[in-house]
This record gives sequence, structure tokens and C-alpha cells, in this order.
Amino acid sequence: MSGLEPIAIELQLVKRLLKGDEEAFAALYRAHSGPICRFALQMTGRMDIAEDVTQETFLALAIHGKRYDPARGSVLAFLYGIARNLVLKRFGKERPENASPLLEEIGGDDDVLEDLTRRESIEEVRRAVLSLPQAYREAVVLCELGEATYEAAAWVLGCPVGTVRSRLSRARAMLAKKLMAGSLVL
Amino acid sequence: MEDRIGQALKALRDADSGVDTGADAEVRAVLAFRRQQRRRGLRRAAIPLAIAAASLITIASWQATRAIPRHLTAVQEPNAREVLTPFYPLMQSSPPFERGLLMRITVPASTMRRVGLPVADDHLADQVQADVLVGQDDLARAIRFVTYTK
Repeated sequence: MSGLEPIAIELQLVKRLLKGDEEAFAALYRAHSGPICRFALQMTGRMDIAEDVTQETFLALAIHGKRYDPARGSVLAFLYGIARNLVLKRFGKERPENASPLLEEIGGDDDVLEDLTRRESIEEVRRAVLSLPQAYREAVVLCELGEATYEAAAWVLGCPVGTVRSRLSRARAMLAKKLMAGSLVL
Repeated sequence: MEDRIGQALKALRDADSGVDTGADAEVRAVLAFRRQQRRRGLRRAAIPLAIAAASLITIASWQATRAIPRHLTAVQEPNAREVLTPFYPLMQSSPPFERGLLMRITVPASTMRRVGLPVADDHLADQVQADVLVGQDDLARAIRFVTYTK
């Protein structure tokens, strides 16, 4: 397999996964669970939901992986699409606006106050992203916070690339308004 | 302001860059995958069984052709002897264990470090076999690791 392009290697893994190969499942999980977990976390603000969505995404890949077309994009982009659908299903029950704040351990070093200020600022940015309308939030999470190209995001969101760009532009304007009100320090 | 928005988003991206589900979540995912595959295997087997049952008509013949779940077996090298560690709990507090299933899976060696076993840094990505005890609630309760000696 060493002579194959990464996308061809991943396609082979997906094919093996569809046949029930556990090693292929673990390899794909290890390669992509991070970006998928972060996507779900940044879309919902909830780590417990993010973990559930991540597992369900890979289980769904094991069933629906035959729909994956490498000509249209990477496995990660396909996984983003599955995760997005799962997150949107969850939104019917739990709005991200109601999400409980993330709990983080605060370090005990000398720069604890500076560290705390920085963390608060980051959480302010997170809250601002979570408060964006869904269409704008997912564009920001995919392209600005995630690893998706505009083309991949367009595939995931089912819209033209130009729409992704305009949503990002609008989202940035909305974020600027929200963060200006909160006198952001970074 | 455009620059500050970019910086703010970059700060959030950097802060979240280490976020992942962790090795124990990977174990849970693999177990869920096994359950999914077993259910799918049983469903796939159910179609020919139903046809056979219809053609044979009698209940006895239907019972004779019922699918039996595949039993999981350990992968062993020839002439190798299995050495097992003690079980390590995976949950701080859990409902009483009533019944469960012992499943053999492959996990990254980093999982051993999570339960306090020594693993050299350059071996964290190695694959090791482990037995996971899954309770009646489908939660992984404990894990033990498998090594082989000749």
C-alpha cells in the first residue's frame, strides 16, 4: 500500500470497513476522530455530545461508506457530512445556546491570571461562534476552525463554493459585532 | 477588526487542537462497531433462514437452521503462550455488574499507560491485544492486556 496516494489508501480502508474489517475501522477512527470530535464540539459546545456524534459518525460510515465517492472529496469531508447530519438531528432536542459551559482545569503556575484571562477570552469566542445561526456557524467551524477547504465545505453543506465564501464573510461580520460588545482580549 | 477576528478564531482553533475522544472512547467505538457488525450479520443470516423456514415449514427445521452468533477467538501465534495482566477498571463508579461479555480487541499501547502500566514513548502507537469486560449496560467496565511468550 505504500505506493498509493493517501486518498487511495483511505478508499481501501473504507472498502475493508464495509466488509466488517475491525482494523480498518480503528485505523479510520484514529486518523479522523480528532477533527470530527472538534467539529461536533464547536458546533454544539458540548463534549458529551461531541463524543457521541464522533462514535455514531464512524458507525454510520461502516454502513453508508459505499456512498463515498473519492472523486468528490476526502474521507474526512465525507465524515464531516455525516457528523453534520447527526449534529443537526441533535439540535432538534438540544439547542447549542442552552449548552452548559465547558469545564476546564485551571493550571497552578505563576501565570495563572494571564492564563485565566486568555481562557475566558477563548470561551468568549466559543460562545460567539455557538451563537451564530447554524448556516454561518457550520461554515466557520468547517473552514476557520476545522480542516475543510472551501470546496470540501461546499460538498459537506451541499451548496456552491461562492455561498460558503459569502457565509464566512457574513459570519465574520457577525462575530466582530458580538466580540466588540465583549471587549475581547487575546 | 478583521485581523482580530482572525486572531480570535485562530486562538480557539489552537485551544481545541488537542481535543479528541481519547483511547477509552476508541475502545468503546470498536466495541460498538463489533455489536453493529454482529447485529448486521444476524440480520443478513435471517433472510436465508426465513426462506429455509418457509420451505421446510416445520418449527424443528427452522430451529435447526437458526443463526448462531460468531464466537470471538483470540489471535494466537503458533507455539506462543498467552500472558494476561490483571483487570484494570475503566469506570470510577458504575452500577453493579450483573452479566456481561468478554471481548478481545486490538488497542493502541497508549491505552496501557492510561491504566498505569509502563509503556515506552516510542511504543505508544504499537498495537496490543486486550480483553474488555462489557457489562449488561453495554459499558466497558474493565480491561486486561494480553502478551505472548514463546
